Amino acid sequence: MEFFVLLVATGLVSGAAYGMIAMGFALIYKATGVVNFAQGELVMLTAYIAFSIATSFELSFFPLLLVTIPIAMVIGLLLERIFIRPMLGEPVFAIVMVTIGLAVIIRGVTIMIWGPDPFEFPGLPTTVIYLGSLPFYPAQLYALGALAVLVLAAWAFLNRSRVGIAMRAVAANEKAALLMGIGVPRIHALAWSLSSAIAAVAGILFAANFKLGPDLWFQGLKSFPAVILGGLDSVIGAAIGGLVIGVIENMAQGYLGQGLREIAGFVVIVLVLMIRPYGLFGEREIERV
Amino acid sequence: MKSLVLGFAALLMSSSAYAADPGVTDTEIKIGDVNILTGPASFIGRAVSVGSKMAAAEINEAGGVNGRKIVIATEDDGYVPARSFQGLKKLIESDEIFALNGTSGTANILAMLPLIEENNLPTVVTTTPAELVYKPVRPSVFVIGARYVDAFYGQLKYIHDKLEPANPVYGLIRQDDDFGVTVEGGYDRAVKEFGVKDGIRLKFKRGTTNFSAEVLQLRAAGVNVLANGGIIAGAANILGEARKLSMDMQVASVWSEDMPPSVKLSAPAGYAYLVGDYVALNDQATDAFDATAKKYLSEGEVAAINRYSYITYVGLKVLAKAMEGCGKELTRACTIEQLRKIKDFDTGGLTAPISFDNDLQLSGTSLKIYQLDPKTQKFTTLQDFTDFSAK
Repeated sequence: MEFFVLLVATGLVSGAAYGMIAMGFALIYKATGVVNFAQGELVMLTAYIAFSIATSFELSFFPLLLVTIPIAMVIGLLLERIFIRPMLGEPVFAIVMVTIGLAVIIRGVTIMIWGPDPFEFPGLPTTVIYLGSLPFYPAQLYALGALAVLVLAAWAFLNRSRVGIAMRAVAANEKAALLMGIGVPRIHALAWSLSSAIAAVAGILFAANFKLGPDLWFQGLKSFPAVILGGLDSVIGAAIGGLVIGVIENMAQGYLGQGLREIAGFVVIVLVLMIRPYGLFGEREIERV
Repeated sequence: MKSLVLGFAALLMSSSAYAADPGVTDTEIKIGDVNILTGPASFIGRAVSVGSKMAAAEINEAGGVNGRKIVIATEDDGYVPARSFQGLKKLIESDEIFALNGTSGTANILAMLPLIEENNLPTVVTTTPAELVYKPVRPSVFVIGARYVDAFYGQLKYIHDKLEPANPVYGLIRQDDDFGVTVEGGYDRAVKEFGVKDGIRLKFKRGTTNFSAEVLQLRAAGVNVLANGGIIAGAANILGEARKLSMDMQVASVWSEDMPPSVKLSAPAGYAYLVGDYVALNDQATDAFDATAKKYLSEGEVAAINRYSYITYVGLKVLAKAMEGCGKELTRACTIEQLRKIKDFDTGGLTAPISFDNDLQLSGTSLKIYQLDPKTQKFTTLQDFTDFSAK
């Protein structure tokens, strides 16, 4: 039983990272109808920026978040303004291709600036904390806490704020929203900005838990099953999907073994797309590219 | 007319070197180097280049190889085998190299081997002592380095014979690929020979970062002697999870885990893990190397030095020794013949003495066993160069 409980606990921890990255995917998709294939790279880039800030100014976790999140939001705004805004009105496929190009550029630039060596992420305590009999590193508990805070914030933003409701309106019918006086380009920019902020939190916590390296971008791809499971257009569903995928992966490895963790999530993608292509919390009308 | 004939004859004599194999002139010998200079594994390629550069600088300052200076031509393959092939093709056809010293990773040299054989290119392999490279034997290919099989066997033997853990249960975690198979080979030999309990064997896909479930499986199996086949961040994450679960273990590791980037990641877990390596890490030989490096290399290049620098430095020195044996009439065939005669070449302690006079043209099978002090992040030598290969 202890083995099972520990598998669930550690699965939730890795699932929290997937969930945060998946929320970023879903937020941009919800507002713009585009799957941002550079989301994993945004997570990596913001984590490296946070690393530089943390090592230069010896900031602990919370001050580091306060400094990094605004920087990440500006990066998101700039990327949207430079690469995505000029593509407005172009076919979705073309915009997706731009995000793929952006991903490759960010990967290259990151290695050019920070080099290929992996780093231990500084600024977080490493003393083991016990919740009952379950051991956790502080960064693991922070990851779970951050996901909970982000889910609550996303729910409040999308359901209780005017801007959030406008974003939902844009997602539901862009032309109608435009006719109602909603600034669609602004909503798109806001989605990129918020998505980058979430990417920064995910990146810092992933790097703190699993080291910081130039292969961190791959977690974007690894988080994709969570988005598909939760629903591409459901921000909160994506977060829940992340937790489920994290636990499924751990169960697959723990009970079946032989490296099945790495393919378990993608098996889920295939099954979800066959049985419920719009995900657990998504809307049926999704047009995928 | 007479002077014209004499002049023509003199020209023919002076250009005798040009009539020999490519890459050799009266004043220069061009040596190729295909390596990983970009991408996540470029800390290996940078270190390799630094080793070659330093050896060439030293040899040239001492008068070169029979008066000819060594010139290094490098191609970046980004760790992509197809690019390794293209890079070597360029080095052979455009740069006209005479021999090859840096050869990138295992899959990369496998991609280059057809070109190496076709051109009878004298090649010293320093970074990839994989069996696929020296079996079957390619006449012009000489390999320095031990096998992972022997490295893991040697470490586990040390743990078994000297550290004697109570109620030992052995466990293995390794990559699901050819490299992982060689790691398992050493583990398999050890558990069979020592008659110890083989608790669990786990495989993982390359690039895995989260090992929480795997480490739980190790703990559930009661493992207290671990053959850790993880590399760099992967190995560190395995040890980090084990520490969280308060696992008391003796750990054997891949030799990449003695490099500074790996040590920085793994040491915080607090395990005094072992490493078996065919390269010296911490003695007078490396101290001397590091001191000399400051004379020939820039500050950035000195910072890039690691075990791959030492071994590639040795590789070029051995190659130079073989070329020297050919005198002024330097050809690839002669160099290969001279390489085959290399016996007990003294590397100043950077590796065990190099000998290629064996059926496999493989040297450096002897390994040192080191142990990390996680507090100081330094290694101490537990056992001097020892040959652990199965007789």
